Parts: sequence; C-alpha cells; structure tokens
Amino acid sequence: MSTRLTALHGNHACALAAVAAGCRFFAGYPITPSSEIAEHLSYELPKVGGTFVQMEDEIASIAAVIGASLGGLRAMTATSGPGFSLMQENIGYGAMIEAPCVVIDVMRGGPSTGMPTRPAQGDIMQARFGSHGDRPVVALAPASVQEIYTETIRAFDLAEQLRTPVTVLYDQVIAQLLESVAVPEPATIHVHERKWANGAGAAFQPYAAGEDGVPAMVRPGDGHRVHTTGLTHAESGFPTQVPPVVDRMMRRLLGKIDIHAAMLERYETLMTDDADVLVVAYGITARAARRAVMVLRAEGLRVGLFRPITLWPFPEGPLRRLAGQARAVLVPEMNAGQLVLEIQRLVAGAAPVHPLGRIDGEPIAPDQIVAAVKELAVHA
Amino acid sequence: MTDSMERREIRLAGSGGQGLILGARILFEAFAIEGRRASQSQSYEPTSRGGFCHSDVVVSEDLSDFPLVTGLDALIALDQVGFDRSIALAKPDALVIVDTRIDARDAEGRRLHRLPLTERAVVTGSGRIANMVALGAFVALSGFVRPSSLDEAIRRETPEKFAALNAAAARVGLTMGETAAAA
Amino acid sequence: MLDVAPATPFDPKDYLRLQYMPHFMCPGCGHGIALRALLAAVHDCGIAKDDLAVVCGIGCSGRVGGYIDANTFHTTHGRPLAFATGLKLARPDLTVVVVTGDGDCLAIGGNHLIHAARRNLDLTCLMLNNEVYGMTGGQASPTTAATRLTSTTQSGAIEPTFDACALAAAAGAGFVGREVTRQAPALKTLIARALRHKGFSFVEVMSDCTEVYGRKNDLGEAPEMILSQKADMRPEQHNDAPNQPFRPNALPTGVFVERDLPEYGARLRAHAAMIRGDTAR
Repeated sequence: MSTRLTALHGNHACALAAVAAGCRFFAGYPITPSSEIAEHLSYELPKVGGTFVQMEDEIASIAAVIGASLGGLRAMTATSGPGFSLMQENIGYGAMIEAPCVVIDVMRGGPSTGMPTRPAQGDIMQARFGSHGDRPVVALAPASVQEIYTETIRAFDLAEQLRTPVTVLYDQVIAQLLESVAVPEPATIHVHERKWANGAGAAFQPYAAGEDGVPAMVRPGDGHRVHTTGLTHAESGFPTQVPPVVDRMMRRLLGKIDIHAAMLERYETLMTDDADVLVVAYGITARAARRAVMVLRAEGLRVGLFRPITLWPFPEGPLRRLAGQARAVLVPEMNAGQLVLEIQRLVAGAAPVHPLGRIDGEPIAPDQIVAAVKELAVHA
Repeated sequence: MTDSMERREIRLAGSGGQGLILGARILFEAFAIEGRRASQSQSYEPTSRGGFCHSDVVVSEDLSDFPLVTGLDALIALDQVGFDRSIALAKPDALVIVDTRIDARDAEGRRLHRLPLTERAVVTGSGRIANMVALGAFVALSGFVRPSSLDEAIRRETPEKFAALNAAAARVGLTMGETAAAA
Repeated sequence: MLDVAPATPFDPKDYLRLQYMPHFMCPGCGHGIALRALLAAVHDCGIAKDDLAVVCGIGCSGRVGGYIDANTFHTTHGRPLAFATGLKLARPDLTVVVVTGDGDCLAIGGNHLIHAARRNLDLTCLMLNNEVYGMTGGQASPTTAATRLTSTTQSGAIEPTFDACALAAAAGAGFVGREVTRQAPALKTLIARALRHKGFSFVEVMSDCTEVYGRKNDLGEAPEMILSQKADMRPEQHNDAPNQPFRPNALPTGVFVERDLPEYGARLRAHAAMIRGDTAR
C-alpha cells in the first residue's frame, strides 16, 4: 500500500500537494476563499527548506513567484477572483519569458468583490484570455479534494515540462470541503525536472528550441549570462520587431501547447456510450451532474457525463466524438454561460448545445440538472 | 450494495458557536474509522459567532458523488433557527432529533425525537457539550455508526483536556437515544 | 564582495554586451553615465558577472539592464522590486540590482518600493530620476517639478513631487543616498557603498532627459543640463547648512541613511530554521 487516507480540506490538500511536488517558494496575498493555502504553506515550506513570503499585493505575489522561478525554484501563488484579475499582466509575462509556475485560483462569486464566501465558476474564460495578447494557456479543473491533490502535483509537472504558468481552477465549495484523500507516498510522486541549459559559448541561444518546442532554461550563475524580456524577443533573448522573427517566435511559443496536446489531455466520461443527452461539466458542478446521471439512468434515460479535468487546452477530440453521437448537449456551470461557448464552437451544430447557468452564489444541485435533462429529453 | 453502504446525508443545525462543525468533523471521523468515505461541509459566513449555522456530512462510497446535501436522512437541530431553516431539506422518512425547547410541529411525519439535549448537557457538565449529547443520541437512533466508533472519533478530534467530558456527554446521549428507541 | 577595489583597472567593455552597441539611449541622456557608474561600482566590489542579476522595469531606465553582460531581467512596468524579491529569496548567492525610473518606482511601483524598504531584503535599487516619462513621449511623473512643461502638463505641472529618498528612508530602508550624474566618481562611490550594504539600499540618481524634457522646457543641450545640476543640487558637505550657499529648495546629495537593520533574507532563513527545530522536537 503506497498511500494513506487523510482527512483534508481542499485548500490544505493543495498546500500539501505543492510541497510534495517540490514547490519551494510561495508568495501570496490574503484573499477569501484561498487564504488557507498560504496559511498552511507559511508553516509547511520552511520545514522543507522552502520560502514563504506574504507580499504587498497580488501583482507583487505573482512577480515574486516568477522571480523565484527564474532563480531555479518550483514556485506557486494562490488567490481568488479579484487577485486573479490583478495577476493577469504578470501571468502573461511569465508565459512570454517562459517561466514555469503554478497559479491557484479559488473561484468565488463575481464580478468585482462579488460574494467572497460563495462558490462560482466565473473565471474560466479569464484563465483562458485574461492576459492581453495571445499566449500559451494551461488550466486544470479538479472536482474533489483528492483531485486538488493530484492536479496540483500535475500542474507543477506540466509547468516545469512546458516552461509556462499553469493555472488550477477550483471553487469555494471544494476549497472548504473536508474529504478523505489518498495521499501518495513521496517516493511515488514524480515531477519532471526542468530542462536546464548546459551548453556554453557566445553562440548560445536561450530561446532556441528543439522539436518539443521548449527551450532549455538558464539558471543564473551557471555561466550563461542571458537577457530575459517581456518584449517580443528573438532566439537570442533580445528584443526584435522583425516580422518573420516575431512570427517564428510567437508560433513556437503558442505551438508548444499543441505539440504536447496528448500529454495535456485529461478528462473523464460516465455512461457516454449510448447517451442521447450529454452533460458537460467540470469542478463541483460535475459532481452534481454525476449524481443527476445516476438518478436519470435509474429512471431509464440515456444520459452521460463528459468531465474535462484539463480545461485548457480543452480535450476537443473526445468531446467532438461524443457530442456527435448525442441528440442534445447540456452545459451546467456556475456562471452566466462560459464553457458553453467553447462547447458550441466544438460541437458546431452537430447537436444543440444548451447552457444551464447559475449565478446566485449557490452550487448547482443535482435536481436542477435532472430537470434540465428531462426537458431536453422531451424535445430531443 | 447493502443498505449500510447507501448514500447518507446528515446535518447538524443551530447557531454559530454551538460546536456544530466539530460535531460534523467527529461524525466524519467516526465513519472513517469504519472505512467509510465522506464529505463534510459547512455554511461559511464572514461572521464567526451567532446566526444560523449548519454543518453537513455526506457519506457515499462513490468518490465523485455530489458532496453537498440534497435530501437529509438525518437532521440534528440544537435550536429553533437551525430547525426552521433545515427541515424542508429533510426526506419524508428522515430521522429528526431536536432539543425539547424547539417547536418542531413542521417535522410532520418524519421520525421526530424531542430530547432534553441541552438540559442533560448542563447536568453532565456544561451546556456547551449539547452537541456531544446529540451525537450520542443520533448514533443510538440511526445506527449509521457504532458507538465505539463515535467514542474513538471524539478522542481523536477533541483536545485531550475535553476528551473525557465529551465522551461522557456522548454516552449520556447514547443512553437517551436507546431509551427513546425502545419507547 | 570586495571591500577595496581590485588592482585591475576598470574597463566598461568588460561588463557590456558590445554586440548590442550602439545603445538606444538619446544623445546626452544621463542614463549612460549612471550605467557606467554602476558597472564601475560592480568592478570595485569585485562582483563576478555570473553572480550579478540586474532586474529592470519598463521605460528608458528599464532598457539599461540589457546592455550589461550579466543575468539581466526586463520585467513589467513598476514591478522590478517584486520580481527581484522572489529572485533574491530564491538565490541569496546572487547580487541583485534593480534599475528603475521615477515613474516605474514611484508611480506604478510605489507600493513595491515602500514594502521592499520595509522588508529590508538585500537588494540594491537604483532609481534613475529624469523627472519624466521619456519613453512614452514625455509625460509628467511623480518627480516632475512644479511649472515644468510636459506632454500631459502643457501649461505647467501643478502636482507636488515625491522626495524618493525621504520616502525610502521613512519606509525603513537600511541605506539611502542620492547623487547627480554630473558627479560621476561620487556616484560610483555611492553605488559601491550601496552594493556593499547588507539590506535594502536605495540610490536615487539625478539623471537628465535631454530630448523630451530638456527641449520642452528650454533647459539647453546636454552640457547645459549637466551644468545646471550644480545649481539644483546641494552636495553632501553642505547638507548641514541647507540655506547656504545653495537654493533652499535644492535637493541634497550624499548618504542620508546608513544603518544596520536585520536583513530580511537572513531573518527568514533563521525563522525557518527555528520552525524546523520546533518540528524536530
């Protein structure tokens, strides 16, 4: 037995998973409902030789995290909606200079200050498009305390392998939920080591990448004295506005996600093989959908669930395949309709795609999904 | 799937400061001692004391099951506001345990037990351990977990200096519950 | 870190990325003098280029770092101190220098300055103050003097200015000083003292923007602007007699604060050791 069962709250699981994944730097700013992550790490990180620092705001927090990443450490910050908004510019910077790091966003009711203690799923498009310009985006959406643990570890692994910020999105319900978690033994947890530059000489090109699209990273002090800039840069690391060079660099930056699509793809299906109605849901809402599917199946309705765990890039192929067999698709989410737009784009008319939004600060209940599916089944 | 493996939803309801979260945490642990997996949640408000408060335990062997309550199998209400705000969620055959001070006419048809939870807690040592008396009564009346599991969970989850008193309060509740069941 | 300058003479070419010359700064810009003074100070302190990290923000000052043959980081507007905080905490072995400007450091980045000073992490912050947003076309900054013309104060600036050194000192910086580019040797000495200081050190460099600020305000060409620094500044030896012989409102130069305060990184590591000791018991 290489695991043990431990009762953990979601945010506590996140903190412990980060330490287990080798995170050795955390910078953050207090915000409900994510603060417990910082509170736990303020104690856990020093125990393993890591650094915890409470910064003056969220902008400084993500900046310090990227600074520590550039220094060679696995680094993370955690926040909620308003703080996530403040971090957007520097998340884009991290993507541009290719600094691996993990950003936890515990979603609460928005917009603005919204409902700090109520759950929502309103930040998923912000995670995708929140920073200006085009950038590579990876976002994960765990649905249980157990999955917060495993997906936080995976976030570090993906960040380090792809040299890019990775966001983990979950909501206030799971953040504050107490569940039994199978905590793996440390020896069984594997996070890839960042690819370090070991070449030498004046010809060294810090942003030249091989077929995997990911350039090796320079650790300051190791002999390569390179320049890092958020300006569009050439392979040399220095700014450029020469169109073909800019085009080449941007396509490489964005393309590294496509190259690793198979590695990134993660989703779960439940009774989708013969489903007339396909429910697409993530996070806590997917658990309501799961209960709804069980109830509806017991009543003889052919309903299935598609649950993306990697939210961005979205597992397009599997969704298209399943939606193509369905007569209707339902997308319940705690927002006014965000993922449904992506699903409509992907399904592209092969089946009608219906939103089921909830924006009153309450989680979507199984009954709500049951009723919506029945409505669709009548008309399908 | 045996009856004991079914999904169970239990709520402790009352006001902030009545030890509802600790009570739910102890229940969670009691189920865990018997190898059952559960989710425990609570109303989460910016104020720490006073006002309606509840904490819930949902037991399910399906790890991805919905972790919040949808229809209560059991409701334990320590005061009127806790009862009033939660009774509509109780299933028609739900077990409802309330303090004798509570007007529980709305419980209609459910398996209602009005018990002197607070009164016996005061006699045992303090009104603050009414939550433990209620847990004992719940275990006796529901049969969801064994009394020994509750006792062990109380010892694990409460500070050492309160463990003996809490365990004693739970035993008072057990006896009260067994008597009520026999009646 | 050497206490006395090495025997080998300073040659700026040893510290520059010559392949990126000529640089992009305007003729007469004071930032080049500041850059040379920084490199000379690095030389005097014996800091190896591999162990030097220069973190810059955005603006003309933000471009200075790119010419230095070291580990250089061009970050986001106003945030270099926050990036540097993470870098220095992750890598206490590096000498981390922040090069910022008056807009970068005092306007958009003002919050980070006061908290970096308060924390007292071992960083050296050079704020190149040219009283204007040069790169974006000459808009007013928090240090633009009253009545000055800029592209956003077409009939003269009216806002009061920040005294950056007083701000850094009040916020808790261990070392605070100011010098003009006209006094290049004194500037080098000041930066070297700041680099050797263990803790947060803040150096305000009074630089000149000839192209967009000097021209707009009819301050003359670079030589005239440099010479005028003599009238606008009060050298260190006159700080005790503020009214003579310089103008009463002249900014003082020299070292204003030099105090041994607990350095944040060391404090954090000691605190971590304490926590580890606690948990071992």
